[in-house]
Amino acid sequence: MTVREPMPSGGRFSVLGLAPYLVLGLVSLPLIILFGWLLYSSFFSRMEGLTPIGGFTLDNWRFLWNPNSVQQLAGRSIWVLTFNTFIFAISVALLVVLISSMAGYALSRLAFPGRRTFLSGVLILHSFPSVTLLIATFIVLRSIGLFDQLLGVILVKAAFEIPFGVWIMKGFFDTVPWELEMAALVDGAGRIRTWWRVMMPLVKPGILALGLLSFVTGWNEFLLPFIFMPSGSQETLSTLVRSILGEGRFVDYGLLTAVGLYYVAPILVLFVLAQDQLMRIYGGGVKG
Amino acid sequence: MQVELQQLTKSFGDVLAVDGIDLEIKSGEFIALLGPSGCGKTTTLLMVAGIYRPTSGRILFGGRRVEQLHPRERGIGMVFQSYALYPHMTVEQNIGFPLEVQRGIDRAERSRRIQEASELVRVDELLSRRPAQLSGGQQQRVALARALAKRPEVLLLDEPLSNLDARLRHDMRGEIKRLQKDVGITSVFVTHDQQEALTMADRVAVINRGHLEAYDTPETLYDRPPNRFVAEFIGDPKMNFMPVEVERRNGSVGFRYADLGLDLEAPVGSTAPDSLPSNAWLGIRPEDLRIVPPDTGDMAGEIYIIEPSGREKLVDVQSGEQRFRVVAEPGFDGRIGDAVGLHLDRERMHLFDREKETRLL
Repeated sequence: MTVREPMPSGGRFSVLGLAPYLVLGLVSLPLIILFGWLLYSSFFSRMEGLTPIGGFTLDNWRFLWNPNSVQQLAGRSIWVLTFNTFIFAISVALLVVLISSMAGYALSRLAFPGRRTFLSGVLILHSFPSVTLLIATFIVLRSIGLFDQLLGVILVKAAFEIPFGVWIMKGFFDTVPWELEMAALVDGAGRIRTWWRVMMPLVKPGILALGLLSFVTGWNEFLLPFIFMPSGSQETLSTLVRSILGEGRFVDYGLLTAVGLYYVAPILVLFVLAQDQLMRIYGGGVKG
Repeated sequence: MQVELQQLTKSFGDVLAVDGIDLEIKSGEFIALLGPSGCGKTTTLLMVAGIYRPTSGRILFGGRRVEQLHPRERGIGMVFQSYALYPHMTVEQNIGFPLEVQRGIDRAERSRRIQEASELVRVDELLSRRPAQLSGGQQQRVALARALAKRPEVLLLDEPLSNLDARLRHDMRGEIKRLQKDVGITSVFVTHDQQEALTMADRVAVINRGHLEAYDTPETLYDRPPNRFVAEFIGDPKMNFMPVEVERRNGSVGFRYADLGLDLEAPVGSTAPDSLPSNAWLGIRPEDLRIVPPDTGDMAGEIYIIEPSGREKLVDVQSGEQRFRVVAEPGFDGRIGDAVGLHLDRERMHLFDREKETRLL
């Protein structure tokens, strides 16, 4: 009698093995159609439902080389807006990473009065919807003269993101063995140097992940630039998309989708490049 | 550097981890802090290192009080149980780190000292590797080199061998001992392994529940343990204990353990106290018991189990309610269940107070 060994998974095609893919594929179909439509409609002058009208055209992408043809750009180059968005996102990311890694280290390693209260306070702050703070934030920005300036919005956005960052970084610092820090102290390093030379390199995955995530949320941020920079002198891409969508009686969907695609493209590229780093943020931890 | 601990105490909340330890370490001496896990030995070491601040008491380095000083101001090198090598740095950077943070050491001097320290522990071939690419023994050596690179006055080792496999542990024991003598550095090492402490240290401090139970040379601790805890903790296989009635006789002491039919007399030296309590613990090491033909010797018993170990055989002998461990020659050919007699070496008996458990004789 021969005993058949079970096939290792993936060893042979099986109809049953296909079922999960089918079900999941079906469920995610609306999303796939969504993205497909976005891509498709940016290359046709008009869409009727899901079918394009007219021939293939690059006209929707005219904002790249002919800013004057798009009234919402108000004579500015798309590159200036892209640059603003980039400055906004990168500044937010740097601020969040810097402050979170310092605060996270302190919360992970130092014993000081009120540490627990502070930790839970940070968590509450994180769960606070930023909309509820808009008016207070407006008053603060006005009084320190940063209203209607990119710098002001950067500070506000970073402030909203820091509580989350502090928790993430604290988690990463928690995984670094105490003995490494003791070793650094005995070797003669002070606190700051221990943090910079020993701890920071060991939480690099956390720094990368948090940095990327903050960059992405900064890049995607709409509400804060929209409200706190009304004059649009340092406009970002998210508010441009909104003005295309919301100003006229009739909306140029072709333009909207082209600009939208242009807007999300860097993020998509970033995600593909940095998937591994981003996934580690919830895995947590450092290989010792 | 001579090191002195005076009434050193550390409590964590309500828990008293170290309770008034007094210890004096001579310059160039190698001492072991020995005790079961959780006894406070590592806490003591970390206070000497400056990682923990003592709750009370003093630490003196060469007569200078250091207990309030930052670790970097104490001139110490330390090897951790997990080695605590910086994973993101090469061996060279690891060894060089203490020098890099020290002021007044230029690049040339630094690389000279890295070379020197790495040659001392024979890792000079591995300088460009990272810790993850090293074996346990190599990591251990690098940790030693890092601790020695800045030429500390005191070397602290926290369970330095416990992460190595048995064979390597044996080799490193000798190597560390030799290295310590060659460098001549005052050293303190923590271990829970009594054999490690006995073989490596000049003097051993036995710690139990935060208390210093004994502090003496390995020979003295083994031959004349000052209390029952030390007698039991030091020596493998463990010392046998039995409750005995004591009787002071002329020029000698009589011991009786009626249940086992034990009744013997031992001569005592002039150091013996005049009055002894009537009840005490009699301790005898397995190698000081001898298996003799039945109906001879001091006690009768029956072989319970035999464990050959090559060099000798470890025999458990059941006698009444009591079980004795005996070291027998490799040629011993008794079998389980055999009736035997046990002879006690009169010169090698230990007597401890029944309540206070301190040494009487």
